[in-house]
Amino acid sequence: MIFKKMTVAVLTAAMLAGLPAVAKEIEQVGRQTYLESLKDKRVIFIPLSQGMDLNQAWTAVWQRHADRYGFEFQVRDPNMDTAAGIRALQGAIADRPDVLIVQNPDIQTYARALKQAQQAGIKILQINMQSITQTDSYVGNDWIEMGRLEGGELARTCLAPDAPSKKIVWLAGVQTGAANIYMRKGLDEILAENPELELVSDQPADYDSEKARQITETVLQQHPDLCGIMGIWDNAEVGAGAAVLAAGKQDQVTIVTNGAGAHTACDSIDKGLLDVVYNFNAPIQAEIAAQQISEFMQHPDRPAGSEKTVFFGPITRVDASNATGRNCWTIDQLK
Amino acid sequence: MASNVQGARDGKVKQPFKISQEGVVTAIAAILFVVFSVVLDKFLTQGNILALLKNVAILGMLAVGMGFVVVGRGIDLTMVAVMVVGVAFAIWLATQGFTFGQAIAVGALLVACCGLVTGVLIAVAEVPPIFATLAMASVIYGGGRVAFNSDVLYAPDGIGWLTFIGSGTVLGIPVSVIIFFAVATLIALFLRFTRFGRFVYASGDNPDTARTMGLPARPVLILQYVISALIAYAAGILLTGLVSGINTRLYNSTLIYDVLLVVVLGGISLSGGQGGVRNVMVGTVLVGILINGMTIMNFSYTSQNLIKSVILLGALALDAVINPRDEQTSQSGDI
Repeated sequence: MIFKKMTVAVLTAAMLAGLPAVAKEIEQVGRQTYLESLKDKRVIFIPLSQGMDLNQAWTAVWQRHADRYGFEFQVRDPNMDTAAGIRALQGAIADRPDVLIVQNPDIQTYARALKQAQQAGIKILQINMQSITQTDSYVGNDWIEMGRLEGGELARTCLAPDAPSKKIVWLAGVQTGAANIYMRKGLDEILAENPELELVSDQPADYDSEKARQITETVLQQHPDLCGIMGIWDNAEVGAGAAVLAAGKQDQVTIVTNGAGAHTACDSIDKGLLDVVYNFNAPIQAEIAAQQISEFMQHPDRPAGSEKTVFFGPITRVDASNATGRNCWTIDQLK
Repeated sequence: MASNVQGARDGKVKQPFKISQEGVVTAIAAILFVVFSVVLDKFLTQGNILALLKNVAILGMLAVGMGFVVVGRGIDLTMVAVMVVGVAFAIWLATQGFTFGQAIAVGALLVACCGLVTGVLIAVAEVPPIFATLAMASVIYGGGRVAFNSDVLYAPDGIGWLTFIGSGTVLGIPVSVIIFFAVATLIALFLRFTRFGRFVYASGDNPDTARTMGLPARPVLILQYVISALIAYAAGILLTGLVSGINTRLYNSTLIYDVLLVVVLGGISLSGGQGGVRNVMVGTVLVGILINGMTIMNFSYTSQNLIKSVILLGALALDAVINPRDEQTSQSGDI
């Protein structure tokens, strides 16, 4: 009797122990294949410079993906030196990673090297700054639309009946950069649609806040009734804001720019240095790019350059009313 | 050889009235000033002249420091690196629990140490200044780059005096301009009236003779680099006041060459022992007038650089014609 009871108990225990074995076979559909296709793959990123907020956001997100899904992610930072960038690119081609991510300094410099990389069978994702060579994927801003958004913002403000004047300023970054060329195209469209708008100054600030401040200060002397300023990077346009503040014209001059959406931009809005920032949300760009990277890895059968996709990320208009929360990320939140 | 010297001396005798490079540059500046005043609508207004001076305050301050070193037959290519890294370090300290005042003091100490190391390399290890400072600039900037992730660092909020030096005025004159003039005056008096200042000239004119005569050549040399580093740091604090933050990427810009240009243009020979703060002021004002006028005329970046270079080359060429090089004026160390 005792023996029978014990047998039942042992059998029950064995059955219970057996249940998790069944559970082990539960698998999220496609996860295993996903993990296997990403495992031990290699991704190399050649940025412009890792010192910029957008770059830090991108790499924080990609590093998180790499750590979680077991692929290797490397950054080779040429620190704004195009010659070093070319060398980094040549080195990366020799290393033959599975995916190469490139942020172009301008539309020409990397064009040939990107072609070579593609011929060597490396899949290439261009992030936010394009080259004239189209590769497997571009993820980033629709820069012409960005120019239209900023120009449109100034058109609305400066053509309003109570505007101080119809005078606006375009503070470029560097004039050969893809972003600048395309943004200027967007602005030109807005100027053509609104011929009353008067572009009184068109100078590059070289992504430098002090240069932006100097240009703005000089222009304000010439055009004390200036209505609006549009720029290309929030960290540079704070200089324009400083000049406007020093002149006591913060209620008169509207400063519109764009940026990665870092909290520093929101701080500048709070301080009254900037009015509107079109936030292209670098962390979301990075997630979209991560999707693209994982797609490359999941389809090794597709040869490099066989598809050419473009995806424009989101753009959010941020001003004093919504300069909080997700519109103002910090790096630690992204890790 | 002897006849050459003789010829040169004869030439000098025949030409008793000598126009210096400083004179040439002053004349060009004056002509440009008059032309712009007539041609450009709001050039000759109090506001624009003050804006012009404010816009060259940083350049001018750095040039005063550089001029000080060049008089002593040195060159300090670390100035921009010291400026951005020193101030960035202070801002970083301020985020680590130090008050901003303490952080600035500690930053000054670091900067003085940088100057000390550079000075020791040149004076004791006898590394030529151009190589020693070029290498030190990389070391300082590289160290900064490792320590701070971001290119742009924002000063803490609510520092009253920082805002004041950035956008305040005393009797209608911007504080930044007053600080620039104060530093320039201080160095001018120092060079002219102190024993140390005369030592700088003596060792710049002929280092070997100065040493043989018993001057403390090495300490003088070392102290020069410490002082130029501290001037660079002061310029950096001023810059932070102007635009509420510092962009460490200025290191990669042409700023250091602009500084050198102002010094050489004003008539301080790279062979040392000649010139003074007045030359720096003349060069600074010429560059200021040029930049201001071209910004008002809204010249493109490329044409601005072209015109600036042509005028500067013209000034140097004119000087070469008026004051031809001979055995007397061309010394070893002249670049």
